[in-house]
Amino acid sequence: MNKGIYIIIIFCGWLLLVQAGTKKKAIGGPDPYLLQLPANFPKPLYDFSRNPLTKQGVALGRFMFYDYRLSKDSTVSCGFCHQQFAAFGHFDHALAHGVAGQQGTRSVPVLFNMIWQKAFMWDGGVNHLEVQPLTPLTDRNEMAMDLKELLEKMQADRDYRSKFKAAFGSEEITSERMFKAFTQFIATMISAGSRYDSVMLKLPGAVFTEEEKAGYAIFQEKCAGCHKEPLFTDLTYRSNGLPYLPALNDVGRMKITGNTDDNLRFKVPSLRNILKSAPYMHDGRFFDIYQVFDFYDHGVQATVTTDPLVKKGIPLSDREKRQLYFFLNTLTDYTFINNQGLSEILID
Amino acid sequence: MGLRIFISYACCCLLINALLAQSQQPAAPAVASLQLSVTHVVGTQPLVRKTVTYINPSGEPFTITRFRYFLSNFSLENVNGERVVLPVSYFLVDDGLDMSKIIRLDSVPAGRYKSLQFLIGVDSIRNMSGIQSGALAVESGMFWTWNSGYIMAQIEGHSPVINTPMQEFLFHAGGYKSKDQVLKYVSLPFPQTLTIAGNKQPRVHLTADVEKWFLPDTVSFKNTVVIMAPGVKARQLANNYQHMFQITGIIYE
Repeated sequence: MNKGIYIIIIFCGWLLLVQAGTKKKAIGGPDPYLLQLPANFPKPLYDFSRNPLTKQGVALGRFMFYDYRLSKDSTVSCGFCHQQFAAFGHFDHALAHGVAGQQGTRSVPVLFNMIWQKAFMWDGGVNHLEVQPLTPLTDRNEMAMDLKELLEKMQADRDYRSKFKAAFGSEEITSERMFKAFTQFIATMISAGSRYDSVMLKLPGAVFTEEEKAGYAIFQEKCAGCHKEPLFTDLTYRSNGLPYLPALNDVGRMKITGNTDDNLRFKVPSLRNILKSAPYMHDGRFFDIYQVFDFYDHGVQATVTTDPLVKKGIPLSDREKRQLYFFLNTLTDYTFINNQGLSEILID
Repeated sequence: MGLRIFISYACCCLLINALLAQSQQPAAPAVASLQLSVTHVVGTQPLVRKTVTYINPSGEPFTITRFRYFLSNFSLENVNGERVVLPVSYFLVDDGLDMSKIIRLDSVPAGRYKSLQFLIGVDSIRNMSGIQSGALAVESGMFWTWNSGYIMAQIEGHSPVINTPMQEFLFHAGGYKSKDQVLKYVSLPFPQTLTIAGNKQPRVHLTADVEKWFLPDTVSFKNTVVIMAPGVKARQLANNYQHMFQITGIIYE
């Protein structure tokens, strides 16, 4: 009788141990990463439930972002073209370039606030944040990598195996894990700490100067129709009347939809960090923001698809240009371009 | 002693609870797996890549280097005409990979069935919900990076009638958005009733005929060499290839 009771007690103890064991396993996984979302922004479009952010996942994404070995000849990393000091655009480069001197036909888009975007690239051809890095990784004008080869290369690397294990629980390196880790890092690129934001949030001491205030009024009257706050883009595709360049023959969104109504339409870019992310336009043809002002003032070449808002140009006096410049300057987010959590990692 | 009785009582309660919890789980219905085995042919000839030359309906000789397609969203129609939807699964069939030509469908409820339905390709949901794994992992190359979406089916090869340096044709059919979608659901009748029972492992034999890619809406290498985007040409291909499958027999093992 007593023996039976002891057996039951031992059994119960064993049950408790098993339970404790499973709990411990859950605690031993990657650490959650708490993403600070800006108070003045809408809800992100990216669905984090499929890919919850973890410290290890974000760290892996960051490591891969700066790893030049992810390109065919180990010369070009993501961060090679997406430079933090240029708000993750490519400073001073009109057109994107990649391995072996190859050049693309569009400028490098800036990277921030991507979790609020529904489609990617200048033409919106990429339909999901997670599959976005696939294009630069494999495009022969960019990193020109064969994905299968890359996965094998990474799997053979002890450091990568341990990083994947830390982020995803095992050393197996799959494309799914890789792109989820990229996405986790990209998700942390949030720019919402500009002086404009401080003014909008009425933080103590944050006010516009008279010129900035005047520039903000001009912006609201003449630019906000497309560059909608707080993202400073309405994420639509529009033709702004930029003269067509036969050499590049870029039809824009029409390439994706096959619809002639989309000819010469490109995604409205954000104006956040705009003074840090020259050159401008989808083909980087303007190196100075005043060239952009001049273009809207008297350079618009209307076609059938040109947006009604800019079809007749946007008249801007010299004084207005100057005030607009001062306002755009308040959109530079120094907390973002100096964010230590996003900065380059040296890969040896 | 009182403590011992209490502990043994508590333990018994726990055990009974555990047993009850187990018995409360719904009794699993009788299910079995079903194997599909696909054979690739060109008209009446078996498909042999690279070395054998075939003639398309336009009289153009050609060889085949690559032949791949996705199959997904399987369902069965039983003898009462009811549709039994099988668990969602995706398969990439590659002529160069014999293993991929045997498809195992699990959790098929026991019953008698008269036809098989599936999608040639990948449904729109999986085309637009981010990175996928397994058969849908993007390193297969069956995914367009510049205009996101899966290549549903693909055939590549060479023909001497093609006037490009490599004399190569590349037919990639894809597109999931309404206007340009190539999502082809096919329904194939079984030659005799398919019986699924716990103890039987039926194997259904199918053929996929490459010749069907060229008709009824004639595809000729004189007019078409490269299809690599959603659009009219991809839709034409898909309208043709949706007829390529046929069930040729059922074997019970």
